[in-house]
Amino acid sequence: MNVIGWALVGVCGLAGLGVVAALSSPRRARSALVGVATAGIGLAGLVGGVVALGGGSFQARLSGLLPLSGVQVAVDPLGGWFMAVTGGVLAVAGLYGIGYAGHGHGPAGRGVLAALPLFAAAVLLVPAAAGVSTLLVLWELMAAASLVLVLAEHRARPAVAQAGWWYAALTHLGFVAILLGLVLYAAHAGDSFADLRATHLSPGLRGVVFVLVFAGFGSKAGLVPLHVWLPRAHAEAPSPVSIALSAAMVNLGVYGVVRVGFDLLGGGSRWWWLLVLALGAVSALYGILQAAVASDLKRLLAYSTVENMGLVFLGVGAAGVFHASGAPALAALALSAALLHVLNHAGFKALLFAAAGSVLRATGSRGLDALGGLRARMPVTTALFAVGALGAVALPPGNGFVSEWLLLQSLVHALPAGGVVTAVAMPVAVAVVALTAGLAVATFVKALGVGFFARPRGDAAAAATESPPAMLAAMGVLAAVCAVLALVPTVLGSALSRAVDAATGTSAYPVHGWISLRLAGIASTMSPLVVAVAVALAVAGTAGVLRLMAVRVERRRAVALWDCGAGAPTARMQYTATSFAEPLQRVFDDVLAPEPDLDVTPHVESAYLVARVAYQQRVPDRVEHALYAPLIAAARRLGRLGPVLANGSVHRYLAYGFVGVTGLLLVLAVAR
Amino acid sequence: MAVFSLWRKIRRVGRVAEPAASPPPGSSCPKAARLGGSVQLRHVDAGSCNGCEIEIGSVFGPVYDAERYGARLVASPRHADALVVTGPVTRNMAVALRRTFEAVSQPRIVVAVGDCAVDAGEFAGGYGVHGPVSDVVPVDVRLPGCPPEPEAIVAALRGLTGR
Repeated sequence: MNVIGWALVGVCGLAGLGVVAALSSPRRARSALVGVATAGIGLAGLVGGVVALGGGSFQARLSGLLPLSGVQVAVDPLGGWFMAVTGGVLAVAGLYGIGYAGHGHGPAGRGVLAALPLFAAAVLLVPAAAGVSTLLVLWELMAAASLVLVLAEHRARPAVAQAGWWYAALTHLGFVAILLGLVLYAAHAGDSFADLRATHLSPGLRGVVFVLVFAGFGSKAGLVPLHVWLPRAHAEAPSPVSIALSAAMVNLGVYGVVRVGFDLLGGGSRWWWLLVLALGAVSALYGILQAAVASDLKRLLAYSTVENMGLVFLGVGAAGVFHASGAPALAALALSAALLHVLNHAGFKALLFAAAGSVLRATGSRGLDALGGLRARMPVTTALFAVGALGAVALPPGNGFVSEWLLLQSLVHALPAGGVVTAVAMPVAVAVVALTAGLAVATFVKALGVGFFARPRGDAAAAATESPPAMLAAMGVLAAVCAVLALVPTVLGSALSRAVDAATGTSAYPVHGWISLRLAGIASTMSPLVVAVAVALAVAGTAGVLRLMAVRVERRRAVALWDCGAGAPTARMQYTATSFAEPLQRVFDDVLAPEPDLDVTPHVESAYLVARVAYQQRVPDRVEHALYAPLIAAARRLGRLGPVLANGSVHRYLAYGFVGVTGLLLVLAVAR
Repeated sequence: MAVFSLWRKIRRVGRVAEPAASPPPGSSCPKAARLGGSVQLRHVDAGSCNGCEIEIGSVFGPVYDAERYGARLVASPRHADALVVTGPVTRNMAVALRRTFEAVSQPRIVVAVGDCAVDAGEFAGGYGVHGPVSDVVPVDVRLPGCPPEPEAIVAALRGLTGR
């Protein structure tokens, strides 16, 4: 039993303590105790993951715990990477939740709080599962516990219940897909991952297994078109839960695809990965477009999660294509870009959701059009949100820039690696990444500018106060992590290469160097530290020159703001989130398909005099509209058959039984 | 092609601007001396009948082309060195004129164009009229006429720019 083993024991023990604390402690102490337990679970997972990334490994088999197969646990560097990311996020989310609770904020019920440590433990243990049954049990525990957490505030808002329906339906459809895929696989091999690795299936069967598993894990990561639950659930969940969902749980979708596709199935055909790449690219574009026109802050962040997961899957798909085309160095580079982006996204998205939660707690509003002016009232939260937004826009000196640069490097240098398909797919992928990055800038300028700057648009925003110290501390930790990831990502070089090695089985060392990132086999280097220092110097230099020039002006006089003679401007004259995004929405009109609704009411006396004009515009999720609405309608129609078949007549039921039994007997008689 | 027809028109019509008269001996307004021959103007209609506006429009048209002497109309008092005010100041426009004047950067030069702007002209004592421009803001250059001819306006502006 080494450190990793003790860490896993700690995770399970703290989860048990957390559940007991949630169920038995008085209401006032409950949130704090559960928060401490969750943070402890996260820390234990972080320690275990870091040790695994440092080269440690752990294996165990507890045959008594689960019938037939027993619980099988193994931690390798790939699982360690995801355990460390998840553990870090959960530790911060626990701390944040302690500060968030109280005064009617955050989850307070026994059942909901008991689900939190269970969920935390399940999320952490999924990457440690080393058997099909173990993985499926933990996956389902994670899904069920997270569903309880999403539904925490269902009494307060009807939208929560709706989000819960969507989440429950899609997460279980995903579970069924994973179950089918893995059971099909295990039927030919065995339950443990070691058996699965050793078995070689026919190519057709492998393809079926991969597509099923990809659909299941993709739905958890919010890949288009299986993403519809994500913006609802992540937006409607309580903020500490949103952090854990959006920065920790979605990553496991990536983990599942990498584990099954690379590690268990051993790479596979090129078309699998082109499928992954294509869906990743579509998700990235669609997610950021919806985020760009969203005016609900948490919904915007949730769509940004769809975008970032799309980028990660784009990297994973590219890695698979390179792997299948016999370019292991490029595959290692693309996969390490994807894994690094998982970490970077977890850092900045946890920070952004935490800051959005602070805003929600302080103002009671998530709508950007009702916010504004928070910079003066919540200066620390604003600064921390800005740090997160800098990471999300993929511009230096943000942390998202580093992983997107790596991703672009692997895509740009792809040309010698494969045939015609690669030569066409990779430039398109580069264009998608570039367009996504550009739209992300617009999105987060909107979120920061409209939400936090200028003047408050409502009384709630005008009366906002800064968050309690525990929340600020949690966000401060995240901001520090983001800064380290942005400036010296090179410290992760060896851990990253171990994780990539564990997945692909080739020992490449794709990223190395200390001040500069050097790539194996590619003559590109980039130093995030030097870039950041250069940007800082340029900003400071410009500011200094401007200040010197301002000193030379002899007299300055203060005058009233020029308002075109129309009177003092009001807060309603500011840019809103909707008006800021309007040009983008106009450009992407065909993709987004907004639904404007203009209602002109004329006067009673004359049709030429207008009494009232009402204008309303919605940008619905088009995938949901076009794909799910007909499916749901078809399911409803099918459901109407029920009362016809089961109309309450006992005679009819007896007839069903008779026909069924005789039919079965006939079949058996013929088949014998 | 719109561009080619424009080209053809330019070639056919040629130059229509009046020949420039000899430049004024110096700046007519001491405040304008430090502007270095470039005066940005904001036009304020303080209640005019639009007669003066038509003349000002032609001053900045191709025939009189005041921009070649360094005078230019701009879209905001924040961009302007001087105000060109027309019409008797009506009661509705008195506050707006004063605030526009305050929005102009120093040295604020005010040019009153037309009889109405100079002394309220025909409308002096009218129930809706506040008074001449000098009742609201200090006036530096007075240009009478109902309306003043474009040549006169050009001459007044050249007096400001000194070119």
